[in-house]
Amino acid sequence: MRFHIEELEILFPYPRIYPEQYAYMCDLKRTLDVGGKAVLEMPSGTGKTVTLLSLIVAYQQHHPEKRKLIYCSRTMSEIEKALAELKALMKYRTEQLGHEEEFRGLGLTSRKNLCLHPSVKREKSGSVVDARCRSLTAGFVKEQRERGEDVEMCVYHDNLDLLEPHNLIPPGVWTLDGLMKYGEEQKQCPYFTARRMMPFCNVIIYSYHYLLDPKIAERVSKELSKDCIVVFDEAHNIDNVCIESLSIDITEDSLRKATRGANNLDRKITEMKSTDAQKLQDEYAKLVDGLRDAGEARDEEAFMSNPALPDDLLKEAVPGNIRRAEHFISFLKRFIEYLKTRMKVLHVISETPLSFLVHLKDLTFIERKPLRFCAERLTSLVRTLELTNIEDYQPLQEVATFATLVATYEKGFLLILEPYETESATVPNPILHFTCLDAAIAIKPVFDRFSSVIITSGTISPLDMYPRMLGFEAVVQESYAMTLARKSFLPMIVTRGSDQGVLSSSFTIRNDPSVVRNYGNLLTEFCKLTPDGIVVFFPSYLYMESIISMWQGMGILDTIWKYKLILVETPDSQETSLALETYRTACNNGRGAVLLCVARGKVSEGIDFDHHYGRTVLCIGVPFQYTESRILKARLEFLRETYRIRENDFLSFDAMRHAAQCLGRVLRGKDDYGIMVLADRRFQKKRTQLPKWIGQALPEAESNMSVDQAVAVAKKFLKDMSVPYEGLMQEGISTWSLSDLKRHQAKKEVEEIEQLQRDAEMEGLEEANGNGNGVVNGNGNGVGNGNGNGVGNGNGKVVDEFDMDEDDEEAMMALDG
Amino acid sequence: MQRNGAVPAPFEDAEEECPICHSKRYLRKDMKFMINPECYHKMCESCVDRIFSHGPAACPVAGCNKTLRRARFRKPTFRDLQMEREVDIRRRVAEVFNREEVDFDTLKDYNDYLNDVEDVTFNLIQNIDVEEAEAKLDAYAAANKQLIQSNMKRAKEGVDTFRARQEAAKESAQQRRKAALQEEEETRREEEEERRNLLKALDAGGDAEVLTRQSQEAMRYRAQIRKEALANEISANENANGSAQFTIRGLKKHVEKEEEEEEKPYDPFDGLSDKREYFVLQEDYGWENYDRLNKPEYSAGGYNIHEYYNRALCEAFSGLGVFIGDSSDEAPPAVASAGAALAAASPMSDDVF
Repeated sequence: MRFHIEELEILFPYPRIYPEQYAYMCDLKRTLDVGGKAVLEMPSGTGKTVTLLSLIVAYQQHHPEKRKLIYCSRTMSEIEKALAELKALMKYRTEQLGHEEEFRGLGLTSRKNLCLHPSVKREKSGSVVDARCRSLTAGFVKEQRERGEDVEMCVYHDNLDLLEPHNLIPPGVWTLDGLMKYGEEQKQCPYFTARRMMPFCNVIIYSYHYLLDPKIAERVSKELSKDCIVVFDEAHNIDNVCIESLSIDITEDSLRKATRGANNLDRKITEMKSTDAQKLQDEYAKLVDGLRDAGEARDEEAFMSNPALPDDLLKEAVPGNIRRAEHFISFLKRFIEYLKTRMKVLHVISETPLSFLVHLKDLTFIERKPLRFCAERLTSLVRTLELTNIEDYQPLQEVATFATLVATYEKGFLLILEPYETESATVPNPILHFTCLDAAIAIKPVFDRFSSVIITSGTISPLDMYPRMLGFEAVVQESYAMTLARKSFLPMIVTRGSDQGVLSSSFTIRNDPSVVRNYGNLLTEFCKLTPDGIVVFFPSYLYMESIISMWQGMGILDTIWKYKLILVETPDSQETSLALETYRTACNNGRGAVLLCVARGKVSEGIDFDHHYGRTVLCIGVPFQYTESRILKARLEFLRETYRIRENDFLSFDAMRHAAQCLGRVLRGKDDYGIMVLADRRFQKKRTQLPKWIGQALPEAESNMSVDQAVAVAKKFLKDMSVPYEGLMQEGISTWSLSDLKRHQAKKEVEEIEQLQRDAEMEGLEEANGNGNGVVNGNGNGVGNGNGNGVGNGNGKVVDEFDMDEDDEEAMMALDG
Repeated sequence: MQRNGAVPAPFEDAEEECPICHSKRYLRKDMKFMINPECYHKMCESCVDRIFSHGPAACPVAGCNKTLRRARFRKPTFRDLQMEREVDIRRRVAEVFNREEVDFDTLKDYNDYLNDVEDVTFNLIQNIDVEEAEAKLDAYAAANKQLIQSNMKRAKEGVDTFRARQEAAKESAQQRRKAALQEEEETRREEEEERRNLLKALDAGGDAEVLTRQSQEAMRYRAQIRKEALANEISANENANGSAQFTIRGLKKHVEKEEEEEEKPYDPFDGLSDKREYFVLQEDYGWENYDRLNKPEYSAGGYNIHEYYNRALCEAFSGLGVFIGDSSDEAPPAVASAGAALAAASPMSDDVF
């Protein structure tokens, strides 16, 4: 379907559009026009990806500067999905426009997924593939080859050099599979094709990490121009991704390996001194002037790159005392030895980077400045030594990265040394956590560099939390409701058992037999009434285990067993995937199953339970984080000190976003239906923190129910849902055809004009007699009515609402006029 | 098991044994090792007591004939004794070579200095040309006695201020935490009170909607005030902190030269005169258009037709005495020669390398 938003023509590859999709497009366009950041929340299953893509592609093609789109998603499957959508969209555009546009869309993923080299691609682990690939493709390997040495190289990679550098692959949208196939046919490396073509693409689709993790971002995303449009999809967890990308854990084992790495380097340097001293001398001479020049253009094969160093520092010369290779190695060894000494302490230490540096200087005479250059200096050294088996130096690199980070950032980081793994452990196994507390640090370069950044997800409420935590100002902040022709999902908050005893997972009463029994009853009842699949989420593995064992003792599991197969998620991912498979089979063949899983586990993120795979989702207890963790405590304190976010606010926000994420698992589209039960007394107060589309469907009356009430409501709901229901009935309400859309746009225009007139009138009135009271009413009326139309009507008379809709509209017009 | 023990001693493996008496940690849990910075051979505490309690004696390790004194034995900081020795050497070197970045004019000088220091240190550690390195160390120490003293003082001051700042930061963080808790409490209390008031008002009768709205507005207003007060407080705090602790450290700048110049009266035009070389201003140019204008009814207060003549002529002749080729050549040499003179005059004596 083709339509216009203001001056922009949009080609939408489906014959119908949802009202919220249209609203989303309007806001998106507004953001792009103004330039700035936006936070948008759109219910899951309403076609967010295709909406985004079709608007942005239209925007690209309309404007002569063709701003590039960088679309970041979280998992491989989401990237694949987005690429497929983009491909369909471009096909539709070609059909409609009658000619093919000059357009390239590429996806990027790790070497492991894209490798074609016959032996490398068989490696299991990603880091091994990376390392082996580097050893076959690095710049100096080629140099060695040219010098006539006998070295192994990758044919696929070499073939790329024969092609024009800006035209490695013909225009079009390439899915990952397509890219692999093309690479196999042309004998060229898909990974490097995608990497090198990135500056020439219109759309790039890849994972968050390529943009957020400073260690990768510098290499992969450096050449992207400033006017790119950056989209983070499924961004509800973006702050944690940011934090993880800058946090480092150091263990005794990794230090041991790092020492080994340093010794190896030492040996290599001695070797080189006797054979090729000139090379070291050259490096030294270059370092006198500055790091950047030494690295020349840092090539894509580089060993690693610098974590978030400010640019001006990189242009500075390397401090004199680590200029020489042997001095640097001794410097590294000293630093590692110091860390080893620190690890021997038997009590918990938490300290700021500053006090760490002071102590370090007292003991080992390591100054802050050379420490800061550590990572970069190591890269340069590795390049000079032409090392091929880089994976051996991974731990050493980690230590160097740690050194650089600790010397660069004074604020927003904390060092926590935990000598014991658990509270009750007696054998020390020390871990030095270098944790980033400030999510804004990692994402700041992205915000600084790109003018348009869009953060979107199905569950990203409360919207204002993200700008606060990530340190930016949003120009557009919007949450869309779901327009439904009938109420197809039923959120409920169950606070009491049938015996009126409280339901809560709060620490004091969570192991109380009566509470556990009530939870058990709730589950049994819902197992009885729900067809096919039920998903149950617990706050933690620990709690899940204890409650399941208590249920076993009470005989509750035996009762459930009669109705559903019981499957449990475990921390082991293979076991879990087996459980999931069994669950699917049981849902398919009618036996029905209940899957018990954890709100922060694998299942809650990224696995969809659409249609009969999930008719009910039960959230047992509020999924709070484990608050005794020192890292979390430090972060809470930091948030309070820096961003004025109170501990409880953050904890509750975090719990509710996970709860919402769990609830969203069962509803993956408008023809889907499901029951969402939040079973904890404390949810009642947190109702406002749910995403708008869930909150809107949750009336006050259903937010404080007992188990038997909930069961009655759910039964009625399922009865309603079992009535045959055709897609046709949604026409005009929750799906718009072109004519519906036109009508909506016309109506909007009329409203706008009237609004302007009214404003003018009001001014006139105010001038005349200083009384502008009555007019404001009219405005509120129009908007309220438009909303109510979509949601309210859907429930009862859906038979021929097409006419009714028009009637209603006329009525509304009349009202407005 | 040792978790709550009084001594948070470093844990070691049970297999560790004293190289002198061969007793193992497995049997003596509290065994402590000592080293002497003369030779860095480690031995257990009881060996030290046994051998050195009657005054200086030779190191019991075979082949090491150094005479050791008990007083100098200490516990090692590092497990790796090589590192222990290295750090001791570094401490000695750092006491002598204690210049900082602020003492240098350019970054390159500083880096070269660091490089040279590292060379000396490295040679001392690796036992390469020890005598030469020692000689350098001594020469530098002798040449820069004063400087070393003052730098040491400065470093100490730096450490002290850092400690003080650290303390202050901790203190203020604690205070803020307390304030936050208090504020939370306050908010809760106020909300409670507001609700009670509302209930009372409703009880007394009145339009429920209006009352509710009023109460909500009052709440919002109060929250706003509280927020503003908090923000003010924070900014005030930050200002206070900032002004008290603001220090700039960086390279030393060329500042000595300017003082040597003689004091002269201030000349805003930097030696340029407004003397006219190419024309002489006439009383009257006899152009009727201007003569017509030169009447009081057309001109504003202070207007002078001669100013106009002057400006017009000045514009006409300006640029006549300036030759582009000359001017671009002429200016730089003056500056460059000044720079050279400056460089020659600056003291180089403190560089012993």
